[in-house]
Amino acid sequence: MTVTAEEVYRPVDASDELASGDIAFLSLTRSRLVGEAPPGDAYDPIGRIPAYPRPALLPLTHGREVAIDTMFALVVNHSCEIDRQKNLGASSDHFDCRLTVAPIVPEPSVLLVGAAGGEQAVNWTAIEANQPVASLYLPLIVDVSAVAPGVDPLPWPRSFADLRGLTTVSRGMVAADRLFGLAPGYLGMLQRQLARFFTWRDIARHELVEALVGRRVVDAIPLNAKGDRLRVALTADDGSSVTVEMRGR
Amino acid sequence: MTRLAAILKEQKLTYTAVASRARLQPRTVRQLASGETSMDNVSVGTVRRIAEALSVPTAALLEPELPHPGDPTISREARLSAAIREVMWSNGPAAYASPLEAAAPDDIASLTPDEFFADMPPIDDRHG
Repeated sequence: MTVTAEEVYRPVDASDELASGDIAFLSLTRSRLVGEAPPGDAYDPIGRIPAYPRPALLPLTHGREVAIDTMFALVVNHSCEIDRQKNLGASSDHFDCRLTVAPIVPEPSVLLVGAAGGEQAVNWTAIEANQPVASLYLPLIVDVSAVAPGVDPLPWPRSFADLRGLTTVSRGMVAADRLFGLAPGYLGMLQRQLARFFTWRDIARHELVEALVGRRVVDAIPLNAKGDRLRVALTADDGSSVTVEMRGR
Repeated sequence: MTRLAAILKEQKLTYTAVASRARLQPRTVRQLASGETSMDNVSVGTVRRIAEALSVPTAALLEPELPHPGDPTISREARLSAAIREVMWSNGPAAYASPLEAAAPDDIASLTPDEFFADMPPIDDRHG
């Protein structure tokens, strides 16, 4: 299923309330140990998001640092959460740095590579269908000024919001450089992707798996295979059992 | 990609070779080429020595001024327009970890949001 720009985006006026799905130009921070680097030579040596050519780095004490990427990012908090402080009596311009945002990764800036390091030809087809759990597809806009009046008539490339890069920013920063937002009809897809991203490792079976920690598995029975996934029934030495799904590589 | 990195690539030179010519540490050249250290944060002499080593004008190594969020010297519309040009359309692609972990879609991937949330009980109505 491919979505169009008309289905995905909506204009946002500067006076509109901040909302889930707002897209703004922001400074995004990542704290880390000095010297921590991504795996392999295929990636940028300092781990920045490739779209932005000039990252900033703030040294901290004790071998820590804060990396800053300046990017467009998507607000993922639910609108009710954004409004909550105000509903509780705080002023609308109260200080709040807890707007969670996902950096937007544009297609022209990246060569998507898999865990093994090779470029994956099927990437963008899958992303367009919102197949990965960690991305929300954002389609091409031929003329941004159609959804962001006053901005130059530029194209916006197809891209995705990367849920693996979630970080928080302040309300004021989003309000200052908001470009446009997601249409109400597409917010459901954002919520579906958020639910998948945070629960896809099958949170429902978490307690069963935890109960097996420290036990010896005495039996493993393959049940059925579907695609690259194999369901296996595990029995522990205390007689308890759990069915897990394993994925082939 | 920084301008320095682009020139090194074009001239097929290594960090070590340029550092040797410019009488600098290879690490300094690498950090400047990767963008880890900005040209704005090193001495004019260092920039000149690298430029001479590469036989290019000093200005060829300086990065264009980029838009910054909240910059009060330009209008919001101009800021966002410049940001789209600079951030969304970069000069060259770089490797980035794909969000795709499995080639085959899982069962949920084909569900619409309405189908996905169909069996979910209403979440705490008091929170809106």
